[in-house]
Amino acid sequence: MPDDSLTLDEIRRMAAETGMTRLSDEHLQELLRATRTARARRAALPIANLGPADEPAHVFRL
Amino acid sequence: MTDLAWLTVAEAAELLRGRKLSPVEYAKALIDRVERHDGKLNAFLRFTPELALEDARRAEAEIFRGAWRGPLHGVPYGLKDIVDYAGLPTTAHSKILRENVATADAAVTQQLRAAGGVFMGKLSTHEFAIGGPSFDLPWPPARNPWNRDHFCGGSSSGAGAATAAGFVPAAIGTDTGGSVRNPASMCGVAGMKPTYGLVSRRGVFPLAYSLDHVGPLTRTVRDNALMLDLIAGHDPLDPGSAAHAAGGYTDQLDRGVKGLRIGVIRHFYARDMQADVEVAAGIEMAVKKLAELGADVREIQTAPLVDYLACNRTLLTSEAFALHEKWMRERPQDYGALARERLMAGAFVRAADYVNATRLRRKMADAFHALFSGIDVAVTASSMDPPCRIDDPKAVDYTYRRQARAPFNVTGGPALSVPVGFSKAGLPLGMQIVGKPFSEALIYRVAHAYELATKWVERHPVLPGDE
Repeated sequence: MPDDSLTLDEIRRMAAETGMTRLSDEHLQELLRATRTARARRAALPIANLGPADEPAHVFRL
Repeated sequence: MTDLAWLTVAEAAELLRGRKLSPVEYAKALIDRVERHDGKLNAFLRFTPELALEDARRAEAEIFRGAWRGPLHGVPYGLKDIVDYAGLPTTAHSKILRENVATADAAVTQQLRAAGGVFMGKLSTHEFAIGGPSFDLPWPPARNPWNRDHFCGGSSSGAGAATAAGFVPAAIGTDTGGSVRNPASMCGVAGMKPTYGLVSRRGVFPLAYSLDHVGPLTRTVRDNALMLDLIAGHDPLDPGSAAHAAGGYTDQLDRGVKGLRIGVIRHFYARDMQADVEVAAGIEMAVKKLAELGADVREIQTAPLVDYLACNRTLLTSEAFALHEKWMRERPQDYGALARERLMAGAFVRAADYVNATRLRRKMADAFHALFSGIDVAVTASSMDPPCRIDDPKAVDYTYRRQARAPFNVTGGPALSVPVGFSKAGLPLGMQIVGKPFSEALIYRVAHAYELATKWVERHPVLPGDE
């Protein structure tokens, strides 16, 4: 589910902390929507069944 | 002689080799076609007829002195504009890279030039292979040749449109979450995302390192296999390149599907996401046809589509943002709105979430590939919907997300989108044929048998002005 609790002020602060200080209000609205979407994706990651031995595919090779 | 616009690579190669067709005559015919029609389709971002004629004259001289190089010799092709061609800008369809002139050819460009191909130009893409279709960029978006009011898919939009429109018989696209297969499906052509690492990514502007693939779009399956033969192979200069034997992709084409075990991943498009009725009917008819041809068809199950999509997008946006963060700080106004929003989704992904997505990826890939102990290939949906109107942002956003392609960027195995008919409105419908890593020859075999049995490839769009 989208994280609707995140506000525009919070996203402006988060953006500034990472050096994204040139974002306009329109850009910040985009960042707010994008971050909510990303958080919804994080919630959808089915990681509950990952065990300690499930290693990352850091260098993905086949 | 057949209309030169609809010659396949294989047919053209036969004529060119036998000196029944001049490469210059062929190039001029396609140049003329692009000049007549591309003003309404925008498949080319940078059309280079002078380079095409130069290549064609060289090919003509070589072929006429008996030095035929192979099936692409004297045959026109195009490159998605994130693929480097030395001396030309690689813009990624973005203001940000407008002046980014490539100093060397990409690996695939080197291979196609060495094969004697006739380079027609750089093809439209979504901005940085993620943001589109957009109307706020320096160049307009490509449109669907079957109906220019409709979306042609992306991000290899121009590659799909140019191939379907008869501007080139083959084009090179890239695929990180489905970007070869989406335009293939929407434009009614064949588009292969090969096994991760099979085709070098060197000289291709990255979207997400661990998910990026380079692949061909063509009007026929045989041509697709011919193109993959030319571009596949180990490249020590690409860190993700697979040290695996490549080639022989046309070897199995004529062996049919009798006795092959084909799994249908129906839950992707019938339960996890409900496909449009015409798309679902097209896939079911294709499955029925494969069974009629002698395949042993059975339903299989894998993880829910949403799990794959969450994994793909977490990896994709994290890796992409790492690449774009500097520009997001310095010149965010120079992106189009769609690319900016889609890329910024990676701004605040936690490191633990990225690592967990990579852990999940390995587990999902292993589980998916284990299914192939009981089947030879699998089929499923590509797009869940027919192409929507390009000027309807809500419909574009809705259909962009409704796809079953990203799972195979996560697993890394090969996936080919092939046409399975047309909607009542006359727009193409597609389906994917997927396999275990490095099983491209088998996938082409199934696709070719289906193609021969259905003849969808014999239909071509009527372009504006040609009615």
